[in-house]
Amino acid sequence: MYYRLNAVTQRLTGAPATVYNPQGLRPGVPSVRPPPVFVSPTKLASEAGSQVEYLGANRVPDLQKVFQRSDGVPVHLKRGLIDKLLYRTTMGLTVGGALYCLVALYIAAQPRNK
Amino acid sequence: MAHQAHAYHMVDPSPWPLTGAIAALLMTSGLAVWFHFHSTTLMILGTILLLLTMFQWWRDVVREGTFQGHHTPPVQKGLRYGMILFITSEVFFFLGFFWAFYHSSLAPTPELGGCWPPTGITTLDPFEVPLLNTAVLLASGVTVTWAHHSIMEGERKQAIQSLTLTIALGFYFTFLQAMEYYEAPFTIADGVYGSTFFVATGFHGLHVIIGSMFLAVCLLRQIHFHFTSEHHFGFEAAAWYWHFVDVVWLFLYISIYWWGS
Repeated sequence: MYYRLNAVTQRLTGAPATVYNPQGLRPGVPSVRPPPVFVSPTKLASEAGSQVEYLGANRVPDLQKVFQRSDGVPVHLKRGLIDKLLYRTTMGLTVGGALYCLVALYIAAQPRNK
Repeated sequence: MAHQAHAYHMVDPSPWPLTGAIAALLMTSGLAVWFHFHSTTLMILGTILLLLTMFQWWRDVVREGTFQGHHTPPVQKGLRYGMILFITSEVFFFLGFFWAFYHSSLAPTPELGGCWPPTGITTLDPFEVPLLNTAVLLASGVTVTWAHHSIMEGERKQAIQSLTLTIALGFYFTFLQAMEYYEAPFTIADGVYGSTFFVATGFHGLHVIIGSMFLAVCLLRQIHFHFTSEHHFGFEAAAWYWHFVDVVWLFLYISIYWWGS
């Protein structure tokens, strides 16, 4: 959301007509596909023909729905299981690696007897 | 975002700065362990951790911007400042190596024969592969600008094609440079000429690879409809970085390959 604060009255005014609206982001509006902003406005589906779908359809609105769910999950875990697995692997390597590093440095610090 | 009364981005708590810092620790101490104990385990572990961190951190930035709408104009302005400052720091990085080159080459010591190129060094002909490399990078600068205009005009197919061409040219440069490294009549161990040549061009080559990867990610994002004609800062950042890489090459070519031969 993008509000405007009136500095004089110290009150929030509603979103102005020229509010910044990133692609398809419409908070509070139920899932409706936004108009295709990726095709130039002068091109009609009938005219564009084979150009309408080039290398797959636009899945961004669906992904926006997924990532804007108000479930309190942080963004790095928002996709569910795959995120959790990757996070745990990374954290495992981080903690394990840090311990391995400390051990290696301790060993490296031992004097070498000639 | 429906709950904030400002246009700025309060990020979710994230583990990636910690994992990135530990990755740096493992890579550096791993380097020391490799030098003294001939074991690469720690360093490789650090590199894997670094790659995992980069993938997940930047994946999250894409999620926050494209899918959650956090990259409002003030936020984007901050991102622009950030990229400009980062590229500036890289300029200073290369400045150091150019300083080293000019220090050694403007007043060559008696040990080198009092001349530059030093006695015994067969330099590369600047008008052969190095000139081709210059043409390749300049052409890639044109194609990346073409890609930018295609994105701004909503020309999806052209944007994908020109961006693919840019990346192909980047890979072609890397391939040609690798061939040159293999065929070169001198090595990094050949005195200060070898050191300055391979360290400066080597770091440049690394930046070409990094830039190509950045552009490749942008290509994937363009294919997946992440960019709009109004908002595509990720691509702009990649294009800025690519132009920086191109300019560094021009300085390298003029200084080391041409003047230094």
